Order: sequence, then structure tokens, then C-alpha cells
Amino acid sequence: MSSLTLSLAPPALVRLHDVLICLSKFSDTVAIEAEHDLLRLSALNSTKTAFASFVCEKEVFFETYAFNVRKDIRSSSGSTAGDRFYCQILLKTLLSVFRGRVDRNKDTAVERCDMELQEDPQETECRLTIKMICGLGVIKSYKLTYEPASIQHAVFDKGRATNQWTADPRFLKQIIEHFSLSAEQLDIYSDSGKAVFTSFTTKIMDGKEVLKYPVHTSVAADKRDFEEIQIEDNMHIAINLKDFKAVVAHAETANATVTARYTQPCKPLQLAYDFEGVNAEFTIMTRGEVEGETAPASSRVGMPQLSQRHTPAPISLNRMNTPRGATPNTQMLPPPPRSRSIRPLNGSSTQEHLAPTAVSDRPSASSVSMDYDSLFVPADDDRQWDEMDEQEEPQDILGWDASGRQDNSEPTLQEAEPDFPKIADTRRRPPKDEMGVPPTQRMSQVWEPSRVGRVQLTLSRFEGLVSSIENVSSQCFRSFRSVRSVY
Amino acid sequence: MRFRTHLKNTRTFSKLTASLSSLGKVCWMRLEYDVVRFTIIPDQGTQVWAQIPVSTIFDEESYQIESNSDAINIEINVAVLNRALRSTFGASSSQLRLTKKDKMPLLALTVLTTEWTEGNMALATDEEQSGQSDVVGDRRARERETWITQEIPIKILHESAVEGLHEPHCPDPDVHIILPGLAQLKSISDRFTKLASTEKGRQAGVVANDAPSASAGAGATALSTNSAPKLELSANMHGKLRLAIATDELRIASVWSGLVNPPLDPAHITQEQYSQLPSERMRGVGDNDESGWAKVRIDGKDWSRVLSVGRLSPKVVACFINEMALVLYVYLPGSWNGEESCLTYYINSFTT
Repeated sequence: MSSLTLSLAPPALVRLHDVLICLSKFSDTVAIEAEHDLLRLSALNSTKTAFASFVCEKEVFFETYAFNVRKDIRSSSGSTAGDRFYCQILLKTLLSVFRGRVDRNKDTAVERCDMELQEDPQETECRLTIKMICGLGVIKSYKLTYEPASIQHAVFDKGRATNQWTADPRFLKQIIEHFSLSAEQLDIYSDSGKAVFTSFTTKIMDGKEVLKYPVHTSVAADKRDFEEIQIEDNMHIAINLKDFKAVVAHAETANATVTARYTQPCKPLQLAYDFEGVNAEFTIMTRGEVEGETAPASSRVGMPQLSQRHTPAPISLNRMNTPRGATPNTQMLPPPPRSRSIRPLNGSSTQEHLAPTAVSDRPSASSVSMDYDSLFVPADDDRQWDEMDEQEEPQDILGWDASGRQDNSEPTLQEAEPDFPKIADTRRRPPKDEMGVPPTQRMSQVWEPSRVGRVQLTLSRFEGLVSSIENVSSQCFRSFRSVRSVY
Repeated sequence: MRFRTHLKNTRTFSKLTASLSSLGKVCWMRLEYDVVRFTIIPDQGTQVWAQIPVSTIFDEESYQIESNSDAINIEINVAVLNRALRSTFGASSSQLRLTKKDKMPLLALTVLTTEWTEGNMALATDEEQSGQSDVVGDRRARERETWITQEIPIKILHESAVEGLHEPHCPDPDVHIILPGLAQLKSISDRFTKLASTEKGRQAGVVANDAPSASAGAGATALSTNSAPKLELSANMHGKLRLAIATDELRIASVWSGLVNPPLDPAHITQEQYSQLPSERMRGVGDNDESGWAKVRIDGKDWSRVLSVGRLSPKVVACFINEMALVLYVYLPGSWNGEESCLTYYINSFTT
């Protein structure tokens, strides 16, 4: 049985409302996790390409905060694992409770907000009680239903991020304001003294409806306008503009400078800021492939270290080898770096297609796939099976960590969720031990026929899914889904 | 084919495109040596033909145009153009040019904004950053430069594709009058429309004052499937304008008086023709005689969209062709004498 009681002063109530509004731009539900010294609110979007998390510190954010858990009793509905409690609530209902509650001009303005959550296996109802203590002795009580949830966090290693910038949200907002309202994607790169933000849309248009083609807007800002900026020149990285807007809008209300960290395309990007005892982090998957017509052609030049950077992440191999039955949680996994590890899934029917040479039939994938014009890249990029470069190999894939700890490298929830921590674990280590396949070996040599057969079977379903979502998703996000649907 | 120019008066350009886009998105933009023409011919509703001297919105010095046919015809989504032009507000320089990207023609708008920054975009950091890299995180007060590029997809129209497009021909107007302030006219029109809309379905669209005249339907088009309330707008040659709406439940009318019936340009017309003009005949009719009024019935919502041109604070001459059409000549401020900057709206009258 666990219990959570907390109370909020009106300023924190406003902050909480802002946070919930921001989360509602990512998902319909908010995941709530209570620990002894913090409360975490998070949301993962439906395509699992963006994860928003707000960690509210006990000492600063709350007036009072008390969380107790008795470990010996299995929880009934919400989940208690270790010394945490977690559940999820529909954002719509939660937002309606907080909407417009702090109006100082009214006599009945909220003076304090108490929240209480008691989880008891004897109780069948899961209720979060919210009490608004208002002026003139008015008390408004709400009882909200929560649901159990398996909560996962995006894993992002700040230490490995090679690119970083920090900027005032008002400055970022000025940039955003130039973009057309219908723009979907945002490409970021730097070129000498400029940081260039380009909005674009990857919608496939009928050739005749030229006028409905989306406008491309690019804004080149002086790097000095950033508080800090250390990014690789000419490396294009693209994220969903809507997510970026949501982050900037909230950072602006919180009056907090935003820091972005990332390594390279198709690896996650994290936007983070702190305010008033709240630590906000948004982990967003990036696209790396920029179509020739949608962005400056410099995308290929941008990868000076092709051979090293393009070694596939260990997870992709690992995942392919994961027996199907052991993967209920892997469907939460984001896609591997797209161009290569997705290859075997794109409808090919023979084993040869799993071999790396198959990559060459898709030369248009510019930035991530090989640059065949380059002198330094052999036609057969067999090196992708080479031993990992020590510095590059533990890449910051958008992985998922169910342990809920920010910094832990060792998942601790083996008992509660036996499958997932194992996977999360393997992904952060060198692949040698876990994969059971020497990385120098070709895929074709390791895959058993039976397993190949299984992949083929699911592919037909996969193709149907792909075609049905083709119009709504960009190619990258499509590949995200493909992983989910296949596994 | 080349086109390149710097922009000036981007506010005017932006307001112009905003007004145009309320009537329709697809705009035919014709760039000539002296003038730029904007034409919108929606499937239904009012069409507008605008003729703007190059110097009104473009910088003549930098205006360059090269074409085999002495003009470049472009089809552009004017709402998109309007949105892009927002980036030019407060800009120190804005350039518009015709370009191509992957064989797709584009109108590229390049904007440089320089604004004075108080030395930091930081919110709360006061600590000195001196000694740091001088490229990054400069905290000193300085000019901040930002380049913005908007690439608007367009279609290039061949001269043959636009040959058949002509401004509508209209008979000589029965009444011509300068409209009162469009802001006032619009707010009253909108209120009338709203009042009539609330009892939608029962409104008859019948006219308040007059018995339907026998000439109704003579040349009026019948877009009468449109169920939106119809405003009745009428005017006489004695400086009066009347705006009215009538339904089964209500009849309202507002009358302006003391307006100007502008004289026609004597250069274009002989004295003899002048006396035979219908408007002169109407002028001869007494002020209080209903037969001296010319009227049209127009769609309330369409009229509201037309009046959005009021944001340019123009002078508007309304030409009434009784029961047939209303033609508005909208002159932008500053071009009143030259008569060059003119938007012409052709509004058909609905039959009763």
C-alpha cells in the first residue's frame, strides 16, 4: 500500500497547470510517478518519438510532500515497484480541474491545493483526490480515476551529446514565428557563424497542386544570439516542429533558458531546462535524412566521419535476434538508426537482402546512408559489422528505461519487469556479451532459416500498416512504427 | 525569365495580400515593367482586379524583370504570400525574386532583420562571460542580424494561359458615390448580416423599401443557391447611401447622407456623352424620389470579405448598376490623383 499526499501553493498550481498543458501537446495521458523526494510527470507521444518529463522536487515545488510505501504488499492497480508508485491519468480530466483556478481577483480564488492518493489493495477504486482550498471557506473536491501503467523513460545520456546549444525561449519563439502554421518538420544546422532553422513539410503532393506545396522557411540566426552553442557545422538534424513549439511555448511561460543536446541525425535530441524546482526534459527523436529538394545539399558533406559514425548501434542487431516471445516491451523501443537496420524489414524476401550490400539499392538516403561519392567509403560497407569503435559505440539511442531513475546505469526492476530491464541493459553495453553474435559476422550467416521465415510472415502485415500510415507520417516516423508493428 | 526586386512598404504589401486572400487563395500575379497586377477570380463571389504601380510596393531602383512577353505571369497562393510577408515586418531589407529549386519555380523572399539587442538573450545570468569564445554567447549590446528565407511555391503561367482572362465589361453606372469609412460600413454590415443569420432558413431576402422592380433579373446573375443573408445596398446621386436588410421578422436600414458623387474624368468622355450617362439622368431625379436610387443585393459574408480591404484605408468609389452589379474602385492612399493604385471589385447582384 502506498500513499501520496502533497499540497501546492497557488504559484505552483499555475506552474502545474502549465506543465499539464505542455504534456497535453504530447499525449492524452500523463504518467505520474511518486518517489520519496520527487514527483515525476511524463508523457510519451503515440508515435513514440517524443517523451516529455517534468520532475518536481519535493523541497522546492511543493508546500508539503509525503510519500509512503509498504513494499510487502503487492499493489492492486497502480503499480508499486521498489519505492516508487506510478499510475497514469487522462490529461483532459486533470486539466479541467486546474483550469482557471488561480484568479486572484475572485474572493474564492484557490489558496491551496491538496492532493491525496491512497492505494490500497482492498480498494477496488483507484482515486486521486484533489482538494482546492479556496477563499471564503469554499473547498472544491475532485476524485479522479487513475489507471495502472507501465511507465518507461527515454534514455538519454547527456555526457555523450556532442552538440549543444542554449538559448532564450523568446529568441526561439521569434524564429518559430516565421514558420508557416502548417509546417511539420524543423531542420537545424549550423554554417560558419550562423545557426539555421528551416521548417519544411514532407507531405507527398500531387504534382498538379503546386500551390499547395508547403513553404520552406529558413531562419539564419547569428550564433551569438545563443547563450552557448557548440554544434558541428553542416550537420542537419530534423525534429518535429510541433514538439519544438510545445517546448518553447512552455519554456517561455516558465522563463527558463532551453538547452538542446544531441549527437547526430537519427539519434535522439534532448531539450532541457529547469525552473522553480522543476526539471523539464524532452527527448525527441530526430530525422537525419533530408531530401535533396527540402534542404540545402550540404547534408552529405556534414558527416566527415562517416565510417565511424555510421556503425550501427548494437541495439539493432540485438533486437533482430531477440526471440519474439521475449519482446512485449520491445515494442516500446524506438527504431534503430533508420537506413540500415530497417533494411531487412522493407519487404525483401530473400536472405540476401539482409546482407549489408542491399543498402546500396537505396542511394538516396543521403546523410545517414553512405556517401558513395566519398573516397573514403568502400562500395560494400561491410564495416558496419565491424567491431565497434569504443568512442562511438555506446550511442545514445532513444531507449527506454523502466526504472525511472535519471542517472542509473543499472536497472533495478528485474523482479517487477523481467524483460525490459534486460533489454535496456544490453543496449547500453558493448554488444559482444549480450548478442551472442560476433559483430564481425554477417547477418546472413547467423540468422536461422526459421527466424527469417518469421520475419517474412510479419512483413506482409507490416507493409499494409506502412501504406496506411504513409500519408500522416514522415518517413522516419514511419520506420518507428514499423518496428512496433513487426515485433 | 528573371524577376528580382527589393520590397518597400511591406506593410502595404502585406495588407494588400491579406485583403486579396479573403476573396480567394489562388491569385494571378502579373509582373509588368510599370505595374504589378493581382487578380483573383473565385468560383463564386466577388472577383478583384488590382493594378499596383511598381513603386508602391517594390523598390524601383532594384526592380528587374526580364521576359519574352514583357510580363511574367505567376499563379500564387496569396494567403501563403501574405503569411511569408509577415517576416518582413521591422526588417532592414527584403528581397523578392523568382528562382527555381529542383525544377520547381519559387518566389523566394529573403529578409534581413537587424534589431538592437540589449546585449543578452540571457534571462538571469549576470556573470561576466569575458574571456570566453567571442563567437558564442556574446553578451554585449550589439546589432542582431537574422536572415529569413521564405520559399513560396508558384506556377508560371504562359502568356497563352492568361490571354482569355479579361476584366468584366459593365454598363455605365447608374449611380457612383464615394463610400463612407469602411470600418463603420463593415461593422454595420456585419451586424446586419449577423442579425439576419440568427433566423436563418426563414429569411426571405425580400427587400425593405421597394416593391421588387420589374427589371429584376434583367442581367443579374442567379447565385441564389447561397442561403446567406442578402444585404441591400442602394445609393442615389444626391450623396445618399442606404444599407438595409429584410427578413420576415425584421427590417433594418441605415442611411448615410452628405456623401460625394464624384465627377467623372472629363478627359475620357465628351460633353455630349456625359449628358447621356445614366448617372446624369439619375442625378436629375429628385432627392426624395425612390426612382433615383440604384440598388443591388449582395451576399452579407461576401461583402464583409470585400470590405476587409478597409485595412488599407483607401478611398472607395462605388458604382451601382441597378439590380445588376456593384463595382468598387478602391484607391490606395497616396495614389488618389494618379489613379494608378487601384483595386477593382466586381460584385454581382442577386435576384430577389
